[in-house]
Amino acid sequence: MEKTGDNVMAVQDKADKKRARQALKEEEKRIAKKKKEDLKLAEKEEARRIKAKRKRAYEALSPEEKMAEKYYIAYRIAAVFSALLIFFPSMTPTRICTMISKNISLFTSAVSYSAITAEMGRAFDKQWIMQGTMILLYISSIVMMLGILGTAAAACCSLGNVKLKKTGNTIGMAGAILMAGGLAGILVSYSDITGTTKPEKVGPMFPVGFYIYAVCTVILLIVSLLLLISFRKITKEKLAGIKYEMEPAYKLFLLFLPFAFLSFVFSYLPLMGWRYAFFDYSAGQALSSENFVGFKWFTSLFASEATKADVVRVLRNTLIMSGLGIATSWCPMAFAIFLNEIKNRKFKRFVQTFTTIPNFISWVLVYAVALSIFSTDGFINTLLTSVTGSAHDTNYLMGNTAIWIKMLLWGMWKGIGWSAIIYIAGISGIDQSLYEAATMDGAGRFEKMWHITLPGLMPTYFVMLLMSIANILSNGMDQYLVFQNAQNTSTIEVLDLYVYTLGIQNGNIPLSTVIGMVKSLISVILLFSANGISKAIRGESIV
Amino acid sequence: MDKNIKNENNENIENLPALTAAELAAERKAREREAKRLMAKNAKDRKDREKADAAREREYYKTHKKKLDLSPGNILFTAINYIVFTVFTIACIFPFYYLLINTISDNELVKKGQITLWPMGINFNNYISMLHVSDLGNAFIVTFARTILGTALMVVASAFVGYLVTKRDMWHRKFWYRFLIITMYFNAGTIPWYLNMSMLGLTNNFLAYIIPGIVAPYNIILVKTYIESIPGELEESALIDGAGFFKVFKSIIWPLCKPIVATIAIFGAVGHWNSFTDSLILMQNAPQYFTVQHRLYIYLNTSSNLAAIMSTGGSAAANAAAAMMNSKVLKYTISMVTVIPILIVYPFMNRYFEKGIMLGAVKG
Repeated sequence: MEKTGDNVMAVQDKADKKRARQALKEEEKRIAKKKKEDLKLAEKEEARRIKAKRKRAYEALSPEEKMAEKYYIAYRIAAVFSALLIFFPSMTPTRICTMISKNISLFTSAVSYSAITAEMGRAFDKQWIMQGTMILLYISSIVMMLGILGTAAAACCSLGNVKLKKTGNTIGMAGAILMAGGLAGILVSYSDITGTTKPEKVGPMFPVGFYIYAVCTVILLIVSLLLLISFRKITKEKLAGIKYEMEPAYKLFLLFLPFAFLSFVFSYLPLMGWRYAFFDYSAGQALSSENFVGFKWFTSLFASEATKADVVRVLRNTLIMSGLGIATSWCPMAFAIFLNEIKNRKFKRFVQTFTTIPNFISWVLVYAVALSIFSTDGFINTLLTSVTGSAHDTNYLMGNTAIWIKMLLWGMWKGIGWSAIIYIAGISGIDQSLYEAATMDGAGRFEKMWHITLPGLMPTYFVMLLMSIANILSNGMDQYLVFQNAQNTSTIEVLDLYVYTLGIQNGNIPLSTVIGMVKSLISVILLFSANGISKAIRGESIV
Repeated sequence: MDKNIKNENNENIENLPALTAAELAAERKAREREAKRLMAKNAKDRKDREKADAAREREYYKTHKKKLDLSPGNILFTAINYIVFTVFTIACIFPFYYLLINTISDNELVKKGQITLWPMGINFNNYISMLHVSDLGNAFIVTFARTILGTALMVVASAFVGYLVTKRDMWHRKFWYRFLIITMYFNAGTIPWYLNMSMLGLTNNFLAYIIPGIVAPYNIILVKTYIESIPGELEESALIDGAGFFKVFKSIIWPLCKPIVATIAIFGAVGHWNSFTDSLILMQNAPQYFTVQHRLYIYLNTSSNLAAIMSTGGSAAANAAAAMMNSKVLKYTISMVTVIPILIVYPFMNRYFEKGIMLGAVKG
């Protein structure tokens, strides 16, 4: 009887403990939530305070200064606008004849003379175009860029105090004048080029971008002038004791701006390339209304039998390889769990150290390793030859058999030790008292692995799984490019590799853009759905 | 320090200007020294604590030795476990070992296929004759340059941006932070990327290796999370002292960030060293900018007459060396030369792995 009583007590005790733990967790959650809310409130308060301060400062200004603030808004908009336009080829003021490629932006024409004159070898030889005209154009582009840089700097200065503004006005005026000078230079080279002896070949034309930049320049010039006038009373003597200063908020923003700019140029600007999907484009050609084809390339994915077959084949390869990856995604976790069962610390350390090495070598090197082991004169063949005595010279890398499995195995060889690290760290985060309690209850080694370690790692595994599902279409191209050969192309070619071969090697830019575009869109959708699932199930986001 | 407190408590503000500039500077220096001393002390304390912890742990394991479970199932499991891990570890190391023994053995024996498990006739002539492989030296210079320059710029930029985005009073901080971070999740695709690079004049241009990599959103997240985890008092005191953001970053944030900076530097450097597709796609007409990996890829795929890549205009000795090497040895040696830098820095990176991967799990 007493024993049963003990049992009942134990059960009750356990339930109590469980309840206590739950209560503790909830309490913690509540505190965290409150902290977050407090922080948000404080931030809002701070923002309000800053806004009020700015408003007060604005109200303290004289009417003339208030007017100047308004001029600055116009100035900033015009400066930013003309700075962003330098990357858009259709907006360039420098395309003064059809011989200049239509894909050249103002930025390109200012950094590379050879890009402007790429197709003019013959025109120069035959004296249709004077070298001097093009050099003038090139120099004008550089002058314009400098001018735009000046106006941008002035726009930055306008966020500072009076002294900074005053200096900024001078720079801004200089920048606007430079821009006007650059435009004048372009105009001169345009009038030069209209005098060509072979107008039908050279095709002089007046670029639309010129008007846009002319408008910007005029606005900048006028506003600069107005600003100089409204600041005329603030003389050097008045500014003698004042230092260059700026509100921290703007200072921080301006420090950050160059990086935002880089991000814009290298991550957002490429999105503009998606427009190639709607044109009949081949390298060096121009995009125009004539070769606008709408959704032709999208429909051609399914219309042409050959393309359709290709796409289906490539999709099959991609999905199978990603699917195999997902199906074996538990392997790193198993690796970690079993490695944890090894009690010899030195051996454990040894295994962990050396199984991570392959992660740090490139796929090209993996291929080099594969060659040394599996090629005709590699390790396997030489070993077999020396053991059996008869000659072996199979090249295991050629051929088309089990290529998906082989790729999976290479991926695992390279990545499993590395992927296991996160699980190993996860295991060390599991509460040791759980193991002790399980031992007291008489659980064996495997039971502990199954009932404690595995559930402890499940959240991490879940995140990893969702990520790999989100990446199902992007399995990279390096691995498949290096292992590709004439015999296995049909089964090894994945989406990324297909896009590369089609676009870069075969020059079919529109179709490969279409495929890349659809892939990107699907990937983003998958990623955010995965995130949604994670949020719904675990209350945590993964992105 | 006493003087400081007094000054702060002093209601009579007019006293302050009485301090001369030199005094102020001296005071600031003293504070900086104090901050540094505190930091060093903290680091030392932490190390001591870790040491003590490790010692205690060892002690614990010594006294609490578990009873050995000698059931057959358990023994079998342990044995299989050890065997499987040993085999897999060997599979990870052996290829490198195999490459090594084949490159340092007698070339004649290699040609006959007699080097399988240990080297014979050890010599390093193959490595010396690498000097004569045309373009390889150039590729190494390019790759070293991009690794060092690219990593340095990326690391400094990540640390600086990571610091900037922790400042709450930045103008529209949240928007700009998201503007950077969201670029991790979309991708225009290979072709638009290539066309964009060519529009920017970055094809066949060495800068294409460096500039696009400067802003690395993932690393910025890592630094930001790290900076948020360190107490803000040090920085605040410096800001009150009138130091600018640059100064604070240079003298306070940067030294404190060293662990995370080391982590991202290592991952960045490995990435640069291994990068291959950018060379392949962007440098189509500029073989002088091919990276080592790209060269290796070309060599591995040149099946016929690989010895021809050895510079023919060289001395008689060079030609003799070239003649001694068959294409197999040549491929192996070039592979080995490419992997050696990674193997050399590997022991140093080892300790930063876990930190890197675990920090990566925490995003925000």
